[in-house]
Amino acid sequence: MIQVKNLTKNYKEVEAVKEISFRVERGTVFGLLGENGAGKTTTLRMLATMIKPTSGTVIIDGLDLIKEPDNVRGKIGILFGGDTGLYDRLTARENIEYFGLLNGMSKADISKRVEELSMKLDMEEYIDRRVGKFSKGMKQKVSIARSIIHNPKIMLLDEPTTGLDVTSVRIVHEFILNQKKEGKTIIFSSHSMSEVEKLCDIVGIINKGRLIEISTLEGLKEKFSGNNLEDIFVELVGEKSEH
Amino acid sequence: MNIKYAMIVLKKELKDTFRDKKTIFSSIVIPILIFPIMAFALGFATNDMINDDMKPIDIVLISSGEVKLEAFLRETGQVNIVNTDDPDKALEDLTIRAIVKVEEGFDNKIESGAMGNVEVIYDQSSQKSDMGTSRLNNIIEAYSQAITNERLDALGIDLETLRAVSITSTSVSKEGGIGLMIFSMVFPMLITIYSAISGLATATDLGAGEKERQTLEPLLTTQASRLSILTGKLFTVFISGVIGTTASLVGFFIASKLNPDFLGTGVSLPLTPILVIGLFCAGLNLIFSGLELTISFYARNFKEAQTYLAPLSVILLIPAYMTMYLDGKAVPEVYFHIPIINTIAIIKEALVQIIDPVHIIIVLGWTIVYIVGSLLLTVGMFKKESVIFRA
Repeated sequence: MIQVKNLTKNYKEVEAVKEISFRVERGTVFGLLGENGAGKTTTLRMLATMIKPTSGTVIIDGLDLIKEPDNVRGKIGILFGGDTGLYDRLTARENIEYFGLLNGMSKADISKRVEELSMKLDMEEYIDRRVGKFSKGMKQKVSIARSIIHNPKIMLLDEPTTGLDVTSVRIVHEFILNQKKEGKTIIFSSHSMSEVEKLCDIVGIINKGRLIEISTLEGLKEKFSGNNLEDIFVELVGEKSEH
Repeated sequence: MNIKYAMIVLKKELKDTFRDKKTIFSSIVIPILIFPIMAFALGFATNDMINDDMKPIDIVLISSGEVKLEAFLRETGQVNIVNTDDPDKALEDLTIRAIVKVEEGFDNKIESGAMGNVEVIYDQSSQKSDMGTSRLNNIIEAYSQAITNERLDALGIDLETLRAVSITSTSVSKEGGIGLMIFSMVFPMLITIYSAISGLATATDLGAGEKERQTLEPLLTTQASRLSILTGKLFTVFISGVIGTTASLVGFFIASKLNPDFLGTGVSLPLTPILVIGLFCAGLNLIFSGLELTISFYARNFKEAQTYLAPLSVILLIPAYMTMYLDGKAVPEVYFHIPIINTIAIIKEALVQIIDPVHIIIVLGWTIVYIVGSLLLTVGMFKKESVIFRA
């Protein structure tokens, strides 16, 4: 479970995120929908303990992010951006192992988990090859395995399909749905309406650092007289921008 | 900081770094090859100069039938008198090294005991003309000396009895002599520069490279603290620097074997000066590892890091050249307090086998201060959100 309480981030005089609050229950996919520069990445970076909030806090699986950032990190897995962020000169196994070790796992546990993930994600053929010459889809699978090697309860996904081809996007979508089935709590940021509609249970619309709407997809459609998500988004963001 | 996590980062970074062919080439292969190549090129150029110096000097002699000097020059076998219609053009084209103009009535003046005038025209901007003229002047000087001796003999005076001072020079240098002098001019400069910049390629990859690959964000969300991650990375840059410096030393000694005249020879040091040199080079390496990593993390990407880091080696040349002619036996006290120069000063002292505990403590103290400063700067920068997520 994630509980975000009045989270704010200022960069000098710029308010990147303004007092946002929301709650995500276990086994739920929360979609953070917003335009570029709306504050999605800043919010996720704060949740991932990469940057410190100016004010407010987050309770992640019972731990306060401000007080126990090291322990919080052990509970989260991240998949940020369209680029897979792997070390090209290391093999797929070495890439995954490195993050397992840095998350405090023993070598035996890592070995068992790598075999399991390798089978699950169909990577057995290339698990011991250097990732430099992998296709985007192969890299995406390694990147996914790396993010869940320590079996985190919380997944933070920041526009994970940006720049990916159709096959790789499919891999990521399947991964998110599987994680949901396993009871993981997922926050997923995107500016793609169709993606949010396909994957998310609850949607939060963020504009200029403020969370302007939180609702289920059905709730949104009901509130805005059955419009599709794109029309609702434009209506909300346009409305707020005018003010 | 957790040592376990720092070691995990260190092991992974070393494995990753030394799997990179570019890094192996720039950190090991090039430093090993560069000095032997330089020695070969220098030897080639020196041989050319020596060969030129052995050959007779091509000159044009202009005179109005004066034969005495011409006869002397021909007799030495060291001068080749060339006939040409345009001596100035020949000198410009360097087909001759100089033009010798003998004044009219030169032979009569010599006969009558007066002084004859000779003008030597050469090209000072040409090394070959300048060196040839220097040899030529010595030959003409020898002719003058021979005439002077004849004149003194005719007066019944022995030249030796006219000498007022006789000079005998004896070097007190224990060993090495001129070889050690050249070596102590060049070696501290080279080893200081190498110690400081050998980790550059690795630092670029571990900071800016990590940002560009987008591997930094996942790394920052692991349970390893930033300090542990940074420590692992810092020691990777340090170890790469030590390997690079060692490789350049190997190249340096191969070069000395290939061309014994290269940068001075005949130097064999006892263990203590070697340890002192090693200690201070390692200290300098650590200082610069921190600085390079800081700059690399500040940069947005690989290319930007390379742009920021490139001037570092140029800046280092300033203290290196400033101290090139510094005598290891007479280092001014203030030098032991100036960054980089103090490391060069202590290396220069060690090379002439001066192990002064006071100087060592002063420079060690400063080195520790610089290391702490460099580490604090690196840690500070790595913790700064505006640096790590600089857009």
